[in-house]
Amino acid sequence: MAPQDISKLIVRTSMKDRAAFDLLYRQTSAKLFGVCLRVLNDRGDAEEALQEVFVKIWTKADRFAVSDLSPISWLVAIARNHAIDRIRARRVPAAHIDAALDVADPAPGPEAMVVAGGESERIYHCLDELEKDRAAAVRGAYLNGESYAELAERHSVPLNTMRTWLRRSLLKLRECLER
Amino acid sequence: MTLAEDNGPERGGDDLFAAEYVLGVLAMDERQIASRRIDTETAFARLVDNWEVHFSPMAAAYPEIEPPASVKPALDRRLFASSSAAAPPRAGLWSSLGFWRGLAAAAVAALAIYVAVPYLSPPAVAPQERLVASLAADGSDVKYLVVYDAARRDVGLSLVSGERAAGKDFELWMIEGKNAPVSMGVIPAGQTTHLTVAPAVQQKLAQGAVLAVSVEPTGGSPTGQPTGPVVAAGDLKGI
Repeated sequence: MAPQDISKLIVRTSMKDRAAFDLLYRQTSAKLFGVCLRVLNDRGDAEEALQEVFVKIWTKADRFAVSDLSPISWLVAIARNHAIDRIRARRVPAAHIDAALDVADPAPGPEAMVVAGGESERIYHCLDELEKDRAAAVRGAYLNGESYAELAERHSVPLNTMRTWLRRSLLKLRECLER
Repeated sequence: MTLAEDNGPERGGDDLFAAEYVLGVLAMDERQIASRRIDTETAFARLVDNWEVHFSPMAAAYPEIEPPASVKPALDRRLFASSSAAAPPRAGLWSSLGFWRGLAAAAVAALAIYVAVPYLSPPAVAPQERLVASLAADGSDVKYLVVYDAARRDVGLSLVSGERAAGKDFELWMIEGKNAPVSMGVIPAGQTTHLTVAPAVQQKLAQGAVLAVSVEPTGGSPTGQPTGPVVAAGDLKGI
């Protein structure tokens, strides 16, 4: 489905058009479920999160108008942030099973290209300018929604070291992205 | 301990705080601060949106995974069932008493004959034991023909027109006199379906009783009383 079609569905959803909302769910729930599942690493939790994500989409669809994000990226951002909030609220963070981390990243299909949009080259180029393990930490943090504490544990470095690493990486990224 | 706290509220600190939020590395309390600021500070919300735009290409790595079919009905219940249940449960039915009475008698008679003919072919049964109703309403395309077989405690429903929306069910109600509607059950999907009449309902189900169809969340009214609009109604008549 073309981005402008998803935009229309979001706009119509903001006007409480249920048919549009149903269609939006049909078109995008698989992607958003993939996001929830990756971050939460638990099917039951991810199903619950997906419902909450679409409740947010139903109630906050009007905010899409003020975002610079592509429609699918806007939806992914809602799902990602919600899943991360949810996993932070867990008392004991569930350790990411390696198998789940290694879920093969499929070659970007047409849908992925929609997500990528025009900016994609830029972020990948800038990540390439970072040291390899730092770039991997940024990517891992983004995709899995891991906290500083979890990243520190996984990379076997003290928490403050991890924080310093990532902040330096973010500063470099910003410098590169704005170049 | 975030950069925002280290560097104060100037642009650099805020921008990196926004980046940390988008990246997802912040602790729960820090995330709560960030999301409050997104809601209240336009400038901060723009910084966050900017980073979302920068990072969004990485989301291409999330695979598409079809969620179980049960999620959408549960979502609909969550979003739409509670709001309709919050309305006075009987208002829909009682306020629409007018259109039940307004049913075109001629149409009912014509349809009654139409539906009754196949049922009458074994002529052994006493006519009083079979009642028919044509259920319809103004402003709705849902029409059911109902044949009630008292001896077999069976209600046969034939869907003439109309369709239930996704995530919705039709529920059949009996209204006898001025009493509250009594559920006869969710009408199974399909052109021709049957419901078994509960003994308690059977005692009151007689000529003159009104049958009504309301739109309910999947699985039927959560309250035991109609919660959605009445899309078809009519009274039981002898053949």
